[in-house]
Amino acid sequence: MSVAPEVHQLSIGPLTAAAFSPDRSQLATCANNNDVLIYNKTQDGWDLSATLSEHDKLITAISWAPRTNRIVTCSQDRNAYVWTREPSGEWKPALVLLRINRAATCVKWSPNEDKFAVGSGARTIAVCSFDEENNWWVSKHLKKPLRSTVLSIDWHPNNVLIAAGSADAKARVFSAFIKGIDAKPQPSAWGEKLPFNTVCGEFNSPNGGWVHDVAFSPSGDALAFASHDASITVVYPAGPGEPPAAIQTIRSISLPYVSLSFLTETSLVAAGHDCQPVLFQGGADGWVMTKSLDDPNATKSLTPQATGAARAEGSVGRLNTVAFNRFKQADTRGQSSSSSSGGSGGGLSGAPGQTATGELKTVHQNTITHVDAYEWKNDGAVGKIFTIGKDGRLAVWNV
Amino acid sequence: MDGAFRKINIDLLEEDVLLPSDLYDPDPRGVEGVLADAKNRSGEVRGLVSKGDIASALNVILTDCPYGEDVDEAKDITTSALLLILNSTRSTDISNLVKGLSGDHQDRLMAYLYKGMANLGEKSEISGSVLLSWHEKLTEVAGVGCIVRVMTDRRIV
Repeated sequence: MSVAPEVHQLSIGPLTAAAFSPDRSQLATCANNNDVLIYNKTQDGWDLSATLSEHDKLITAISWAPRTNRIVTCSQDRNAYVWTREPSGEWKPALVLLRINRAATCVKWSPNEDKFAVGSGARTIAVCSFDEENNWWVSKHLKKPLRSTVLSIDWHPNNVLIAAGSADAKARVFSAFIKGIDAKPQPSAWGEKLPFNTVCGEFNSPNGGWVHDVAFSPSGDALAFASHDASITVVYPAGPGEPPAAIQTIRSISLPYVSLSFLTETSLVAAGHDCQPVLFQGGADGWVMTKSLDDPNATKSLTPQATGAARAEGSVGRLNTVAFNRFKQADTRGQSSSSSSGGSGGGLSGAPGQTATGELKTVHQNTITHVDAYEWKNDGAVGKIFTIGKDGRLAVWNV
Repeated sequence: MDGAFRKINIDLLEEDVLLPSDLYDPDPRGVEGVLADAKNRSGEVRGLVSKGDIASALNVILTDCPYGEDVDEAKDITTSALLLILNSTRSTDISNLVKGLSGDHQDRLMAYLYKGMANLGEKSEISGSVLLSWHEKLTEVAGVGCIVRVMTDRRIV
C-alpha cells in the first residue's frame, strides 16, 4: 500500500531540472533561471546551501554522478559546466568545450561516469570526455541522421550506446564509443561492431509527436520513449540489422507524458502534462497502464499539502488559479463570486479535476517536468521516485 | 527596440532545411494506388451503409486513409464517404460504435471530425451538430490524448 508522498514547495515558479546527491542528502535544482540551487536536507524540508552561478541563460538539465560526486549542468547559453566539490565545500566549475551553436537541452553522465552527453538544438549530441593532457573536457559530435533538436538522452548500461529522443518525432540509438576510454563493448541485441556514430536503431513515434524522453531498461535490452502524441512506445531489438522483435505502443487517454523512467525490467513510471505519475507494466508481448500514483478521481486521504517553505496560494506556476476561475465565472455566468460552483470535478477524461478553490486535485498543480528514481530496494527495483513540476514542487513517491 | 530580426526565417539560410514531408513516411501505395484504393473503399462503404452495417463501414474507411501531399482527390472521396457514415448513424448508436474501434481508427476518426469542423459551411453534407455529437462520444472513450494525437500528426488527412 502506498503512503502519502512527501511534498516540498521549493519555488514559486517552475523547476526546470533536478538531481540528487549520491546519498540523497542534497538536491541540485533550477528555479527557471540561470542559477543552480543546492539544497541540504533538514528535519522538515530543504534549506538552500549554495548557489552555482556561471551560466548566462536558463539551465535546462542537471546530472549528478553517483560515485564521483560531480555535477554537470547545461544551459540555453550553449555551455555546459562540470562542477567538482573542493575540500572547502565550494563547488568549482570547469567549462566544457561543446562547440554547438544552439541551446543545450539535456545532459546525462554515462554509467561509468567517465563521459557525459549533451543534447542540443543544433541537431547534435556532444559526447564529452576528459582530456588529461590539456586538463579540460572535450566533445565529439553525433550529428547524422538527426533532423531536429535533441530533447532527451539516456545511456545504455554498457557505457557505449546512447539513446536520443528528438523533435523530428524519432527516437534513435547511437554508439558513443570513445577510443581510449571505452573498452570494446560486449555484443548486445543492439549491435556487435560499434564504431562512433553507428546508428543501431531508429524508431518513429506512432502519431508524429516529438519525443520528450527516452529511457533504457535496467538491462539495456529494451528502449522506452514518451512522445507528444500522448503515447509511450517500448522497443525490443532483435539483433543487428534486423527489425525489432517487438514494438509496443500505449496510447494514453490523457495529456502527453514528458518524462519517464524504468522501475524494473517490466515496469516504468511516466509523468507529464496530466500532473500525476502513472505506472505501466508489461513486456515484449504488450504493455498496460496499471495505476496512477495520484488519481484525482479516487477517494483518498492524502491531501496535497506542501511542507517546507510555505508560499502564498495561487502562485504563477499554477495551471488554474483562483483568480482565473473568478474571471471565468464572471465571464460565462455573470457571477462575481467563485464560491457557488468552482469545481468542475474532472468530468473530461484525462483532465485532472479541480477543487472549489481552483486547485487541481493532484499533488502537482502543473506539468511534471521530470521523474526519476529516488531510492532502490534490496532486489534492485526502484522503491521510491521523485517528481518536479512547473508548480515549483518536489514530491517523493512510494511505488 | 526593433524586433524585425525575429521574423527572419533563419532556417532558410541553412542548407539542410527540414521540410514538413521529411517528418513522416510516404505512403507506399503511391499517388495512383491511393486514389484507386480510396475509390474502392468509398464504393464498399456506400454498399455497407445501405445495408445498415455502420460498424464495418467505419472500419473500411478508417483503414489506410490517404494522407500527405498530391492526393487531394483521394482525400475528398474518403472524406465524403466518412461524412456519409457519420450522417446516417443514429445518435444513440455512436457510443457503442466508437468503443468498437481500434485505437488507431479512433485517432483517424478524430482527425476527420476536426477536418469536418474546419470546413464547416463549405459542403452541404457537413453538419456541425452531427460532428459535435461524434466528437463528444469519441472524447469520452479515447480521452484528450486522442485530440493531442490529431494535433501532432503530420499525416494530414
